[in-house]
Amino acid sequence: MSAHGPIPVLRIGSTLLASIQVELRDTIADAFQEDILKMIAKTGATGLVIDITGLEVVDSYVARVLGDTGRMATLMGTETVVVGMRPVVAATLVRMGFRMEGVLTALNVEDGLALVSDLLVRRHSGGH
Amino acid sequence: MPLHYFMEKLNLDEAELQSRRNFFEITDDDLNRLAGLRGFAEKYIDDIIDDLYQLILGHPEAKQQFTEHVTLVRVKRAQRDYFLGLFSGRCDLAYVEDRLRIGVAHERVGIPPKWYLGAYARYLRSIFSRLLIALPEPAQAHAAYQSVEKLVAFDTALAMDTYIAAQLDALARHQAAIRELSTPVIRLYQRVLLLPLIGTMDTHRADQLMETVLLKVVDEQAHVIIIDIAGVLVVDTKVADHLLKTTEAVRLLGAQTILSGISPTIAKTIVNLGMNISAMHTRSRLADALELAFEIVGKRVTSIAKKPAGTPPETAQDS
Amino acid sequence: MAPCVLSSEKLVIACEDDVVIARRKVRLLAETLGFDPFTTAAITTATSELCRNTWIHAEKGTGLVEQISDGGRIGIRVELRDDGPGIADLDRVLAGGYSTAKSLGLGVSGSRRLTDEFRVDTVVGRGTVITVVKWKRPT
Repeated sequence: MSAHGPIPVLRIGSTLLASIQVELRDTIADAFQEDILKMIAKTGATGLVIDITGLEVVDSYVARVLGDTGRMATLMGTETVVVGMRPVVAATLVRMGFRMEGVLTALNVEDGLALVSDLLVRRHSGGH
Repeated sequence: MPLHYFMEKLNLDEAELQSRRNFFEITDDDLNRLAGLRGFAEKYIDDIIDDLYQLILGHPEAKQQFTEHVTLVRVKRAQRDYFLGLFSGRCDLAYVEDRLRIGVAHERVGIPPKWYLGAYARYLRSIFSRLLIALPEPAQAHAAYQSVEKLVAFDTALAMDTYIAAQLDALARHQAAIRELSTPVIRLYQRVLLLPLIGTMDTHRADQLMETVLLKVVDEQAHVIIIDIAGVLVVDTKVADHLLKTTEAVRLLGAQTILSGISPTIAKTIVNLGMNISAMHTRSRLADALELAFEIVGKRVTSIAKKPAGTPPETAQDS
Repeated sequence: MAPCVLSSEKLVIACEDDVVIARRKVRLLAETLGFDPFTTAAITTATSELCRNTWIHAEKGTGLVEQISDGGRIGIRVELRDDGPGIADLDRVLAGGYSTAKSLGLGVSGSRRLTDEFRVDTVVGRGTVITVVKWKRPT
C-alpha cells in the first residue's frame, strides 16, 4: 500500500484503489491527479477505482479534477471507475450544470472492481 | 410551536408594530389613560372574569370546551393575565409577545376563534358597564372605553394572525406528507427499483423527486431505477429538464435510469430540449422497461415450456 | 421588507485555505440552523465556488456569512467582495456552460443555479460584489 499525501492508494492485482476520505482542497486534488497518474505509469496498472464515498462536498473544481483524472487514466490505457458518490454531491453537481463525461461510475468499490474486471476481459477478447 | 416562530411569521418587528399601532389608532394618550385605570382593573377583575365564565358555563357547547378542569384553570389564569395586560400602559414588542403567548396557549389547547372572539366581546361589554359606574363623567367613561376597545381590537388581530399561522403550518405539514406518499419508490427486484409517477408534476415536485430517487438508489444499492411517467398528466420543459437531470445524477451515483411511459408528446418535449439523450434508456411501455432492467442486472424473462395436459407436476428431488 | 440579520460573521479570502475555511463556516451554520442535507450542500458548494472565484481572479477579498430572517423563513446570506479585475462579459459568464468550462464560468453561474437569490455588482477594473441567499426549506 502506498500513501502519497493524504489519499491512500491500494493495489489490488493490477488495479489501483484510491479512497478519498479527506475534504479535498484544490492543491490536494491536483496533487492526487499527479500522483495517481505517476503510479499508473510506474506500476502499469490496468484499472483504477476512485472511491469518493467519503466526500461530502464536491465543488466544480474538484469534480473537474476527478473527471479529468479519470479521462487521463483512460487515455493511458487504464479502465477507470469512480464509485460511491453521495446523493447530495450528485444532486449539487447536476443542479450546477456540471457534467462528468467520459468517466464510468459504480455504486461501490465491489461493483467498481467488478466493472473494471469486465472491461478488461472484454478488452482482451475484443482485441483493442 | 415556539413563540419566536410566530413573531417571525408575522413579521413582528418595530416597523410592523408601529404600522399596526397607527392603523388601530393606538396613541400614547390611550396607553396612559389605560395605565391610569390600573386601579379600576384590579378592583373589577374578578367580577369581569366571572362575567365571562357565567357566559361560558351557561352555554352548553362552550361549556363542553372547558369541561376539562385543567383546561379551565389554565385558561382562567391566562385570562387574568390578559385582562390586566390591557391596563399595563404598554403596547410594545414585549406586550405583543405576551399577547402571542396567550394566543399560542389557546392554539395549543385547540380553542376555535369563535370562543375567544366572543370572549373579547364579552370583556368589552363588562368593562363598559363597570366604567360607567367607576367614572361618573360620561365623557371620561367614553374616552376610557375607546382606549380599551382599540387595544382589544389590536389584540384580536394578533389572535387571528396566530390562529391562521398555526393552521397554515399544519397545512404545510400535511402537504409535505402527501408529497412523500405520492413518490413511492418500490423495490421491484433485487437492486431494481420502480418509481411510478402519478398526477401533476410541477417543477418543485420534480426537483424534490431527484433527491428521493438518489437517496433510495444508494440506500438500496440499486443498479437500475425505472421511472414511469405514463401517469403524469403534463410534462413541460422544466419538468423534463428535472427528469433528465435526475437520470444524470443517478448515473453519477453509478446506477442507471430507465424512463418509461414516454408518450409522443413527451418525446417531442425532450428532444426539443436539445439535451444529450443518447446515453439514456427510455421505453414507451413499462413492460419493456422491466425487461431491460432485468437485463441490466443479468436476468432474462423467458417462457416456461408448456407440458402436455395430464403430466403430474414435478416434485422436488434431492440431488 | 428587507430581511433582518440575526448573526454575521466575517470572511477573509487571501489564500487557498480560506476557501475551505469559508466553506466550513457556511456548512456549520447551515447544519446548526437545521437545513436539510441537499440545501446545505447547495449553499456550501455555492460558497466554495464564489470564494475560489475571488481567490483565483482577485487574489484577495472579504466576505460575510449571515443568518437572515424574513417573515417566517430563515436563510443564509453569503456576500463576497473584492477589488479585483471585475467580470467582463457578465452575461456570458452567467449563462455559464453545461460543460467542463473554465473555472470562472462554472463557478459563478453554478452558484447562481444553486441558490435562491443571486446578485452581482461588478465593474471592470474596479471590483466585484456577489451576494447569494439560500432559504431553509419549510418542513
